Amino acid sequence: MTDQFKITPDLWEPIVIEDREKDKIVRKSLTYWQDAWRRLKKNYLSMLGLGVIILLAFAAIAGPMLSPYSYSDQDLNMSNMPPRLELHRLEDGTFVHVHKEYRLYEVSESGELLGRIQHTKEDMINKTREFEFNGNEIVIDYKLAAINKDVPNAPKFTLTINGQPNDTADKTVWNKTYFFGTDTLGRDIFVRSLYGARISLLIALVATLVQFFIGVIYGGVSGYIGGRVDNFMMRVVDIIDTIPLMLYVILLMVVLGAGLLTIIIALGSVYWVRMARLVRGQVLSIKENEFILAARTLGASPWRIMVRHLIPNSMGAIIVSLAMMVPSAIFTESFLSFIGLGVSAPQASWGTLASDAMGGLRTYAYQLFVPSFFISMTVLSFNFLGDGLRDALDPRLRK
Amino acid sequence: MTEKILEVKNMKTSFYTHVGEVQAVRGVSFHLDKGEALGIVGESGSGKSVTSMSVMRLLQYPGTIKEGEVLFNGEDLVKKSKAEMMSVRGNQIAMIFQDPMTSLNPVYTIGNQIMEAVIRHQKVSKAEARERAIDMLKLVGIPSPETRVDNYPHEFSGGMRQRAMIAIALSCQPDLLIADEPTTALDVTIQAQILELLKDLKTKVNTSIILITHDLGVVADVCSRIIVMYGGLIMEEGRSEDIFYEPLHPYTMGLLKSIPRLDLGHKQRLVPIPGSPPDLIKPPKGCPFAARCPYAMKVCLDHQPDYYERKPGHKAACWLYHQDAPTVEFDTGVRRMKE
Amino acid sequence: MGKYIIRRLISMIITLVFVASITFFLMHAVPGGPFQSEKALPEAVIQALNEKYHLDDPLWKQYLDYMKGVFTFQLGPSFKRVGTTVNDLIVAGFPYSAKLGFFATLAIVALGIPAGIISALKSNKWEDYLVTILATLGVAVPSFVLGALFIYVFSSKLGWLPAFGLTSWKHYIGPVIALSGFSLAFVARLTRSSVLEVMQQDYIRTARAKGLPEIVVIVKHALKNALIPVVTYLGPMIAAMMTGSFIVEKIFAIPGMGKYFVESVSSRDYTVLMGTTIFYAAFSITMIFVVDIAYGFIDPRIKLGD
Repeated sequence: MTDQFKITPDLWEPIVIEDREKDKIVRKSLTYWQDAWRRLKKNYLSMLGLGVIILLAFAAIAGPMLSPYSYSDQDLNMSNMPPRLELHRLEDGTFVHVHKEYRLYEVSESGELLGRIQHTKEDMINKTREFEFNGNEIVIDYKLAAINKDVPNAPKFTLTINGQPNDTADKTVWNKTYFFGTDTLGRDIFVRSLYGARISLLIALVATLVQFFIGVIYGGVSGYIGGRVDNFMMRVVDIIDTIPLMLYVILLMVVLGAGLLTIIIALGSVYWVRMARLVRGQVLSIKENEFILAARTLGASPWRIMVRHLIPNSMGAIIVSLAMMVPSAIFTESFLSFIGLGVSAPQASWGTLASDAMGGLRTYAYQLFVPSFFISMTVLSFNFLGDGLRDALDPRLRK
Repeated sequence: MTEKILEVKNMKTSFYTHVGEVQAVRGVSFHLDKGEALGIVGESGSGKSVTSMSVMRLLQYPGTIKEGEVLFNGEDLVKKSKAEMMSVRGNQIAMIFQDPMTSLNPVYTIGNQIMEAVIRHQKVSKAEARERAIDMLKLVGIPSPETRVDNYPHEFSGGMRQRAMIAIALSCQPDLLIADEPTTALDVTIQAQILELLKDLKTKVNTSIILITHDLGVVADVCSRIIVMYGGLIMEEGRSEDIFYEPLHPYTMGLLKSIPRLDLGHKQRLVPIPGSPPDLIKPPKGCPFAARCPYAMKVCLDHQPDYYERKPGHKAACWLYHQDAPTVEFDTGVRRMKE
Repeated sequence: MGKYIIRRLISMIITLVFVASITFFLMHAVPGGPFQSEKALPEAVIQALNEKYHLDDPLWKQYLDYMKGVFTFQLGPSFKRVGTTVNDLIVAGFPYSAKLGFFATLAIVALGIPAGIISALKSNKWEDYLVTILATLGVAVPSFVLGALFIYVFSSKLGWLPAFGLTSWKHYIGPVIALSGFSLAFVARLTRSSVLEVMQQDYIRTARAKGLPEIVVIVKHALKNALIPVVTYLGPMIAAMMTGSFIVEKIFAIPGMGKYFVESVSSRDYTVLMGTTIFYAAFSITMIFVVDIAYGFIDPRIKLGD
């Protein structure tokens, strides 16, 4: 076990006790929340999620104010414009874009829509349209559309400029006038998406808050009182929770009528059962701790115990639960919109945007993908944040 | 003539984690004679559990045996293949663990859990295995074994569960039983029962036993020899009487001073050992106990001591027993009552 | 076990009564009654309709009649499709919905659970990363997006698969994916975390110490325990898929119950709405009951006592 070495007499000297490390307090103590925040910060995905949410919140508030368009401005001349424009060059250096409905637009080279070019002649029998623009003669022949109807990716029209066929696009640029394109009524999807963010997030957050309050009170009381009262109250919750909660929401919406406020009320007044169950579970386990007994011995009223001791100690689990309820609310709201129970036009939520897009899905897929992207991104962010919160707030993992 | 059933030679086990290599066992050698009960004593982090898991080759990623030999009945277990080890475990060497509630699978009956080991290792029919299970339950002192064999773990009390675990372990008549903190999770009275059972079984079935614990009181009764581990190394080894009444190593003395003794016939203070165990990612260069030892010298910090044997079978790894070392008056607080 | 079943059955009935009652009162709370919303009908016509449908009876009588109807499975006539009863619609639509739901559930169990198991056993290797990423995305994408995406890619752009109806086996692929997507991802994640947790348990260590081969340790000892929370989730999951089916049936134009349900919402056909809601509720309650019983078989700690 030993290495070969020479033992000199000085090595037999005893060591002074102060030289050695004793029970040093190595780092300053952190409160539960400080420790949790520190741990959360290290979780990159969660921080990413949090960042996206904050960014989205800003965009939702500020975006619609900064945009030149309002969410309800319609311009039927500019309906169904895609976010990416295929441009055909004319001899004089200007560009035109052929719309899926065979309209013609003048577009700047960088992608700004400069205006619609009205057709001078329409021949319904031969399925052609003629345009005159800056001295150029442009013909769009859309006979192929009927022939190639069910053939995917086949060309639906031919473009002839001054007698020369010009079928392939010369350039494809991003639409600088309408970043995400427009919908069937010519409304800018970008601003509508941001406005939709307001609505969807508002619904999700407020409904979650309502669920929180009702659920915390119900669950807290049930857990604290315990015994048969608790049994009964939980039975009620079980009965409510047996069937898909969505059914209640739909029924409520039918009674209350569609609209922003009613959605919030419907969501909040149904989904609280989840929170109630969680809080009750937490309260039951915390109740047994001795500091509760101490508080009672000191004469604290049940209300004070609940508010000052039980609830704060459950906050960890409650916060995680809240973070996970928001995505669920967003989904539910979009489902409602799909069935026709969403906010009423011209208000837009991501759900109504998606629902509106279904009609033109085959040709204008972007109209669905934009709100879907927002929904997915938000849900993912909250999921990441929720996962991170769960790990950070778990007291067993404290280091 | 006592033959050695187990001989561990210079075993080193480490865990290669993402924060570094945790050297849990840093060179441990000991032996066990047939029919003997050996106690391994140490605090948390001393390496005692990892030692036993290494012997059984039960280490999970990222733990691995770096070096050393484990000779069981002459064969080196470290060199055996996975398949060969599977027929050793449960069959020739068996192990019981600390918490019987979590160590038993809650969704299968006790009988099922005994029978599966028997069926796998001894290739008997289900009916015979069931008979054997009932016999084992009887052996460990569980009443109404014929009905109990079909009960689930949650239907047993804590002490009975540990007995059931012992029944599982002994079902294939292993030569060696390793008991890792078998009584730590139990009430004191139940502890005594389980220890009695172990002693009893040792004589009846002639199993060799390794009993691992942090509690000196537990080994006093059951074990004939004791090993004291600290910081991944063995500090002292000897017969139980020697360890308890003539401890050599300052750590052992510290342990003895910190537990209440009823056998000494005089009052004494309980003195805890100040400080905390060493960091095994950066283990100390010298003696692992040097930082907490009241008798530490300069040489102790830098160089690991050899084992010095004071009398046959009783040795300690401590520089104080080197021929050139200064003589020290030990305050062991131990004065055996003269008859 | 018998007592457990009886208690559960009583629970079921109470729940059904509760839900039926809530549905009844909610529908009757709609201001104006079912015929008010339409193009203005002359007073006399409204009167006649009310009489015909017993809408002028005192509320408690309507309630009792209704509850009788629920338990004898006579859910009344459809207000908007004159001549059809709610029963007719349910009988016509349910087989489609059921087939869709069945295959979706099959997909979830046959794909999601094994994916979760593999992901847990190969923790931190490529199999795990793949499953985890797909599952994380899967719970973030709403079913209508999945469905629409499917139609867009596989029908419009590639033309491989049909988009509407449920006539051939090819027709099932899209709807089943859209319907099962979320739950499949969720079940995979749930299974994964459950298996991971179980593998850390002491009884797994005991099983290995007994010299059992790793396969036996995993399949016999780990899985049975790990699947307990997954099985518990299946009941509510199947129920949730029913509501999910509304959207999928609408998108893929499948003539299932969901389609009638959604239509009754927009057309305010109250009897159909009530009837289908109760039917969904009853189905959901039954599924949860079945799962509870199954759970009682798997976990012996539950069998005794409630």
